[in-house]
Amino acid sequence: MSLFGLGRPQPSSAEKIAAAEAEMDLITTMFNQLQQACMKKCIPKDYREGEINKGEGVCIDRCAAKFFDVQMKVSELLQAEAAAKGGALGGGFGVGGM
Amino acid sequence: MDRLSNAEQRELETRMQQKQMKEFMNVFSGLVNHCFDACVDDFTTKSLVQRETGCVSRCVQKFMAGSERIGQRFQEEQAKMMQNPPPGR
Repeated sequence: MSLFGLGRPQPSSAEKIAAAEAEMDLITTMFNQLQQACMKKCIPKDYREGEINKGEGVCIDRCAAKFFDVQMKVSELLQAEAAAKGGALGGGFGVGGM
Repeated sequence: MDRLSNAEQRELETRMQQKQMKEFMNVFSGLVNHCFDACVDDFTTKSLVQRETGCVSRCVQKFMAGSERIGQRFQEEQAKMMQNPPPGR
């Protein structure tokens, strides 16, 4: 019998706004991290010219792509870890209960 | 994400504006620190020498250009994620 998802009260106004805000915060944080990481890796500190040259531009593109890949990978790995740990615990209980 | 009513939308917009102000201040102070660190090293005089002024100018320009490009890549990725949500979401 499922206890979750049935008869759950509608989120209040404050909750909805807070959720939207939290999502925006997450996106902003992600962008800032991406920006810091790729500026550090791709833009040398001597500032001899004011524009991004072609090499730096390409570096930024690749850096962004790799950053997202790393994010995905870390997320998958963490989920796998959590599942493995959860499985070890749940398996013990399940065998005991059955 | 559930739809927000008009009043909720307005509230969210107000908060977004406040956040944008705060974010701008963060960017500004970060940029000042970064360009100062990268460009200013001559303390034989009190005022900025021309080399340093030029450097700061290029530093800001370059930062804005780089930021813009990163923003574009970021938006493209966001659009992609909307279409193919990653597994486990």
